[in-house]
Amino acid sequence: MDEKFAPHIEELTRALGHVSRSVIEDELELLLKYRVPIDEAKRSVLKKFRDSSPVTKKVNDLVIGDKGIALEVRILEINEKDVNLRGEAATIFSGVLGDETGMCSFTSWKPISLNSGDAVKILNASVRSWRNRAEVNIGDRSEVELLQDTDLPDISELSETPVKKLSEIGYSDMFVSSVAAVIELYHREVDVKGHNLTIIEGVLADETGRLPFVSWSLLDGVDIGSILRFEDASVSMYRGVPSIHLNESTPVRIVGPDEELSFTFDSVNVPPEPLPIKEVLQNEGMFDVSVKGNIVSVRPGSGLITRCPECNRVIMKNACRSHGVVEGIQDMRIKLILDDGTGSLLVMLNRELSEIVYGKTLQECELVMGKSMSANVVYDDMKNILTGRYLGVRGNTSRVEYGVTFVAKSVWAPSDDPENRISALLERLEGVEV
Amino acid sequence: MVEREVAFRMFAKELNDSGLTIHSTIDEAINSEGHTPNYLLTPLGSMVNRVFIVGVITEVDNVGNDIDTWKARIVDPSGAFTIYAGQYQPQAAIFLSSVETPAFVSVVGKVRVYKPDPGTSIISLRPEEIHLADEKMRNDWVIDTAELTLDRVEAVSEMVSSCKSVPDTCECIKDKADFSEISEGICLAIDNYGTGSDYLDEMRSVIKKCIVSIELAPPGNGEKDMDVVVMELLEELDEGKGVDYLHLLSVAKSRNINEKAVDSAVRSLLAKGSCYEPKIGIIRPIS
Repeated sequence: MDEKFAPHIEELTRALGHVSRSVIEDELELLLKYRVPIDEAKRSVLKKFRDSSPVTKKVNDLVIGDKGIALEVRILEINEKDVNLRGEAATIFSGVLGDETGMCSFTSWKPISLNSGDAVKILNASVRSWRNRAEVNIGDRSEVELLQDTDLPDISELSETPVKKLSEIGYSDMFVSSVAAVIELYHREVDVKGHNLTIIEGVLADETGRLPFVSWSLLDGVDIGSILRFEDASVSMYRGVPSIHLNESTPVRIVGPDEELSFTFDSVNVPPEPLPIKEVLQNEGMFDVSVKGNIVSVRPGSGLITRCPECNRVIMKNACRSHGVVEGIQDMRIKLILDDGTGSLLVMLNRELSEIVYGKTLQECELVMGKSMSANVVYDDMKNILTGRYLGVRGNTSRVEYGVTFVAKSVWAPSDDPENRISALLERLEGVEV
Repeated sequence: MVEREVAFRMFAKELNDSGLTIHSTIDEAINSEGHTPNYLLTPLGSMVNRVFIVGVITEVDNVGNDIDTWKARIVDPSGAFTIYAGQYQPQAAIFLSSVETPAFVSVVGKVRVYKPDPGTSIISLRPEEIHLADEKMRNDWVIDTAELTLDRVEAVSEMVSSCKSVPDTCECIKDKADFSEISEGICLAIDNYGTGSDYLDEMRSVIKKCIVSIELAPPGNGEKDMDVVVMELLEELDEGKGVDYLHLLSVAKSRNINEKAVDSAVRSLLAKGSCYEPKIGIIRPIS
């Protein structure tokens, strides 16, 4: 083959680690013979081999949207269900599967004869989102093979609820046991099937992190400051953030003062330390974190906005997409890009925080806009005042279709002691001559 | 999904020492749905597409013929960045056409490379955002940039020294278990610029020079001096019952001290508890 294609072959071989160089060469040569331009040819080769390579994954590596993957798991629970599938009665199977890394629910859309405890290899499965977490789908094109029973850990071992620190809890945990301090707690009235019910919501913390929790039973004697040891609590996910659910059947015990723990209420009830933005971007969603950086851009859509009184959506020219012409409600918000040199993040500020950061109230902005006769005057002024400035934000992140979004709960102006930072730098540069 | 390119914090020295551009491969273009950024590889192995700088704007020239194109120099303690703004950066062009030099400015910009001849590269920035800044922002930027640059220097240094005895340093870095985007950049930098301990020492020296340059004038020094001046003035005028505020202002005026500055210094001294107001309009120093 022509020498000049060598770099392209090199590149393809690197991209397709599992395909041999000679196979790639043959494929590419064939396409080039048909006078397919080199870039198109490379694209085709990439596409052809990428799809045919089954990737074997562990349960805790499953990502929503995975296709054509292979799994070696044990069936922990399986139920038969009769459903109406596009007008036809059908039987589907659903349950829980797991390996040593975690558990996951699954649904089989075709009949499978499996029992709980079976060790299986599932080929060509896909992963979709179900109740905000990953679920394995076994479809028409999937294959299920029985494995040797000894290939995987025993069912009792796999069904055991793991004991974890809060920061380790993620997608592949359906149940978890842990010890954590209650740092926030409040009661809420909810309506469950027509009945009024008081539930408890709050925040748990240990030395590794913080997570929201919900208790469906009134936890006697539990208040802010209590340290709880709970077992088999269920974990639900919302936008990548796990939350802990407790109910009457969850064993919950208040840890006494005599028990040795790796943290105390005081040591965990502190504001989160700012993280490098790069670390925040690596997560699907994070609860109660803080970052700081420079505002490198104020995005369009910031400034004065009008919301529909029915659905709270932003409206243009007094017309809502679903409610037609409405009397809009004035609101203010800022969407900004915060960048600390390690990564950049879209941060959303509500009206209250926008007023603090921008330094003008909604009413003042309305006056300014009224005088200038231009809708963009507030946005332009915000860009001028805010771009380049330092900002610290604390809140929650979640990954949505356009990347990670940070919804701020509080803001501050970072004022790190420059003298300390300078002397730390000079220490690192000791002995260097200027 | 397309991730936004990070804005690097980088001294002019490191950026201007660069010359190699990296274009997206077809593989990346397919995976990123047509988002094909170009990068400039720096001698420390960073692949830069966008930077954030705060410096002093010292020169602005109109270099356009038919259409207005503005060229400006923005200086940091290590050297100068060149920026160009034309018809496609209308806000930046308007800013440059009216800015008075010198002034502190912050710039978010995309890196541009122009290669008039093989072997020479002219690096400039195309501003996305340019705004007035102040001295504190510049000093904070220098500290941030020094920290992040020193982190990079140390990362390169660590990789180079752990592969010192191997003839092909780059291959050795590649073989390391933690081969990532960072080590890939460092590997490319060693191949293309021959980055070694000489350059790393030079950069350490540049970083030190940059932070020492701000240490000589710590932030807020001016205000502190004013507090001291006003405190001395109060002590001088006080005969035991405090100083009439209007008298203080008139004495200050006679000595060419700005009234507004005295006012803010008095408020700062009151807040610090260095003086108090026994009666309205009377300021009494606590010594």
